[in-house]
Amino acid sequence: MTKTYAVELQDVVKQFGDVVAVNHVSLQIQDGEFFSLLGPSGCGKTTTLRMIAGFEMPTGGAIYIHGERQGYRPPNKRPVNTVFQNYALFPHMTVAENIAFGMEMQKIPKDEINRRVSEALDMVRLSNMASRKPKQLSGGQQQRIALARALVNRPKVLLLDEPLGALDLKLRKAMQIELKALQEEVGITFIYVTHDQEEALTMSDRIAVMNNGIVHQVGDPETIYEHPADRFVADFIGETNFIPVKIISLAPEIVVALGSGEQVVAGWAEEGLAVGDRAVLSIRPEKMDMLELNEVPKTPAHNTAYVKGKVTHLVYVGTDTRHTVTLGDGTEVVVRLQNMYIGEEPWELGEATIVTWNAAHARVLKE
Amino acid sequence: MERLRRHPELQAWLILAIPVIFLLIFFMAPLLIVFVYSFLERGKYGGVEWVFTLDNIRRVFDPLYFKTFLRSFYIAIITTIVTLALGYPLAYFIAKSPPSRRNALVFALMIPFWTNFLIRTYAWLTLLRTHTGLINVTLMNWGIISKPLPLYGNDFAIILGLVYGWLPVMVLPIYAALERLDESLLEAARDLYASSGKAFWRVTWPLSIPGVVAGSMLVFIPSLGAFVTPAILGGGKSLMIGNIISNQFLGAHDWPFGSALSMVMMIAMLIATLIYFRWTKKSELV
Repeated sequence: MTKTYAVELQDVVKQFGDVVAVNHVSLQIQDGEFFSLLGPSGCGKTTTLRMIAGFEMPTGGAIYIHGERQGYRPPNKRPVNTVFQNYALFPHMTVAENIAFGMEMQKIPKDEINRRVSEALDMVRLSNMASRKPKQLSGGQQQRIALARALVNRPKVLLLDEPLGALDLKLRKAMQIELKALQEEVGITFIYVTHDQEEALTMSDRIAVMNNGIVHQVGDPETIYEHPADRFVADFIGETNFIPVKIISLAPEIVVALGSGEQVVAGWAEEGLAVGDRAVLSIRPEKMDMLELNEVPKTPAHNTAYVKGKVTHLVYVGTDTRHTVTLGDGTEVVVRLQNMYIGEEPWELGEATIVTWNAAHARVLKE
Repeated sequence: MERLRRHPELQAWLILAIPVIFLLIFFMAPLLIVFVYSFLERGKYGGVEWVFTLDNIRRVFDPLYFKTFLRSFYIAIITTIVTLALGYPLAYFIAKSPPSRRNALVFALMIPFWTNFLIRTYAWLTLLRTHTGLINVTLMNWGIISKPLPLYGNDFAIILGLVYGWLPVMVLPIYAALERLDESLLEAARDLYASSGKAFWRVTWPLSIPGVVAGSMLVFIPSLGAFVTPAILGGGKSLMIGNIISNQFLGAHDWPFGSALSMVMMIAMLIATLIYFRWTKKSELV
């Protein structure tokens, strides 16, 4: 017997007229997982979520929730609840009425509704707001009521559509932690849509990175950040240097040549690349270091790259300084060096330097 | 000028002054005249004699007139209910149409207003008339009916004419309320286990009540005071209070009694409106 997932998407397609919003997406989301759909706006993440909720019906493929195929089941017949981007609290009902709504529709006895409403209000620490109207609450409070209104129904899966998008940065950070703690406490599967990569990295057990309706990579935050599967993921998550290269060899080890002719070893190459192909070498700015010309060891370590360049731009950003170095072939790379000591002798504009990195951090990706 | 710029309240009053003066002269003053006239004796050839009397007010409650009063209320209420029953689905349909089509539909709704109301009511006459009306003639020619239907000269004809005339003003405020209704509220209701019917009654309907109230007022008030429609479609038999009032001024030359009827009608309308507001308030407007 195959494993039952909290939510499983099999080859799901969604077309709006000629536009393919979701293009053959398959996902398996484990029970109790905090799963994020991450991507730029228009990537299909919200459409995917809306198909799970039942607001949109897939053009092709199948969606299973706890092993049950959903088909054309309407939203009110699905064991999921949604936290909307704008909260969608009913403006004509009080906070307590909002929270009770789902249970009322399920014809749960009145005294149980009352008990669960006050429990839910306790959970989000807004017990004293029960008789207020949503308009009388702050954005953060409304957000928590939306969360309580969904969770009070004890759904098998909670769907969240950019729920923190409307909050200011500080509140957002606080709510990220609160939300993650809440998810661990209630143990419900969360499917979380966001375009904020930092948010996804902070909260998720696993992330699916989407673009143009396609899932580019699924993995835990560390895998997504440290081992991006392709150029889009490397570019979208965090900051990355892309150095144009030509592939010299792929086995026994991966060697690429930079435009300047300098050859370096890389740790990993995307599938489908062949010797002689043009590609890009992707390295995170914080994985690079800079050496004085005379600091290069006489017998350089085999798995370390040393590339000549010139410092062309410096930006001090507090915790570290971003050094832009122009390599021999004119490619600009950014090197982030932590400002560990006050009074350290800084690099100067125009200074010649050797940019160095460990081959394990360098990934060869298709252009 | 300098002083004006430093006192925003003064600016506000200056801007308000024009409409306030306008209303005082052209709205309050005639109202006051009507009020005063209703306590005076009639002049021989129209106008008034400056002698105080309560006779006019007393006459309003004479069963002869009071029955017409009640009937006018009845016709106005039925008209409002029918207009609401037709107008709400229409407003809903327009609000749910793609945004590109909505303006065209609202525009189409307003087209009847381009023609004079009197002309349009006469057009209905050619349709409804008992023996020569288009509907009865056609139905009898086709052998569907053997005797003409009573389409004209009764309450039915008046209500039909009023519903036709006031339908757009019922639709517009309801449309405005439905159009600004956030679609995600309905999705939230559906997500929270409401069927589409439940979602309508628990979310769409209560949030559209301000539009329903406004539309009902806009239909009820002119229907109650209507005189063109009953005069033409009522066939001279089925009259409303508006006809009696206009007759006092234009035919009977009894201005004080016409004024008294108007005053009582206005007060009745005011009371009805207050009751209606109080009643809809219970459904908790946002």
